[in-house]
Amino acid sequence: MVLGLRQFIERTGDGAGVPVLDADNGEEMMHVQPGVSFVLGNRSPETPGTLYISTKKVVWLSDVDRTKGYAVDFLSLSLHAVSRDPEAYPSPCIYTQIEVEDDEHESEESDSESSEVLELSRITEMRLVPSDPGQLDTLFDVFCECAELNPEPVDEDDEEGHNWIISADQMAGENGGLAEADFPFFANPSNSIGHSNGHQDLAGSVLQLQIDDDRFEDAEEMDHDKDISHR
Amino acid sequence: MLFFSYFKDLVGREVTVELKNDLAIRGTLHSVDQYLNIKLENTRVVDQDKYPHMLSVRNCFIRGSVVRYVQLPPEGVDVDLLHDATRREARGG
Repeated sequence: MVLGLRQFIERTGDGAGVPVLDADNGEEMMHVQPGVSFVLGNRSPETPGTLYISTKKVVWLSDVDRTKGYAVDFLSLSLHAVSRDPEAYPSPCIYTQIEVEDDEHESEESDSESSEVLELSRITEMRLVPSDPGQLDTLFDVFCECAELNPEPVDEDDEEGHNWIISADQMAGENGGLAEADFPFFANPSNSIGHSNGHQDLAGSVLQLQIDDDRFEDAEEMDHDKDISHR
Repeated sequence: MLFFSYFKDLVGREVTVELKNDLAIRGTLHSVDQYLNIKLENTRVVDQDKYPHMLSVRNCFIRGSVVRYVQLPPEGVDVDLLHDATRREARGG
């Protein structure tokens, strides 16, 4: 996953269009707010535009320029808040902080395009200014709801590594959760290690044991016979 | 789960949440969820020079994964209770 803000121009439909969502991965639109200005860091506001909040990300698209749009994943939104103090910012707005990648590639700026992308990915503050301040609390709540839909992804390696650990809950709670298919030697005894390989050996050992016993018995009998013959 | 329950008990108290980007926000704990996302009310930024914009903010939602520390009110810390609870958690009960 890439942290931070990015350009977003994937639109469908006529006119200003709507952002393309990743429906294959279950992304859905949660809220659309027309009439929202977009402010990055200390830059001047970009307007007019429409704010789209999906289950995965926040997208702002310009209403007039189809090539202008921005997106940030909820995974990158560290903090969001309602800002209403006119001394801090002239218009009431949703204030957000964006988590960015650690800055270790500062020397990699080559041409102007990539430096713009790089600058976007370094922006740590974003403001969304709705023309109707009465929408701020609704927007705040939608942001909260979507943030909770996006917990930190579990490392895939970790998840695989956990398959062989069976918790007590799984044993007790998931009836059939551990299907016999997970353990072929339960379902099909003839395939188990003990049987396919060891059956012969086991029989052989038992036979050996019997022979030994016989020999032992014989010896005893012989002693017994001897004793009798001495008498 | 232990810390989730513990933080739920602290709702309504004053805490200071320090983020991994060094921002520290003091406020009243409004709510917390299972991912330790935290909602604060009546917030104020401890180091106002670094994030002057946060001055305007009175309530905020903080993503659990960016929290470094939560400073607790001393009266909200029952050491014996936590001691027992962490032990029980370690035993898997």
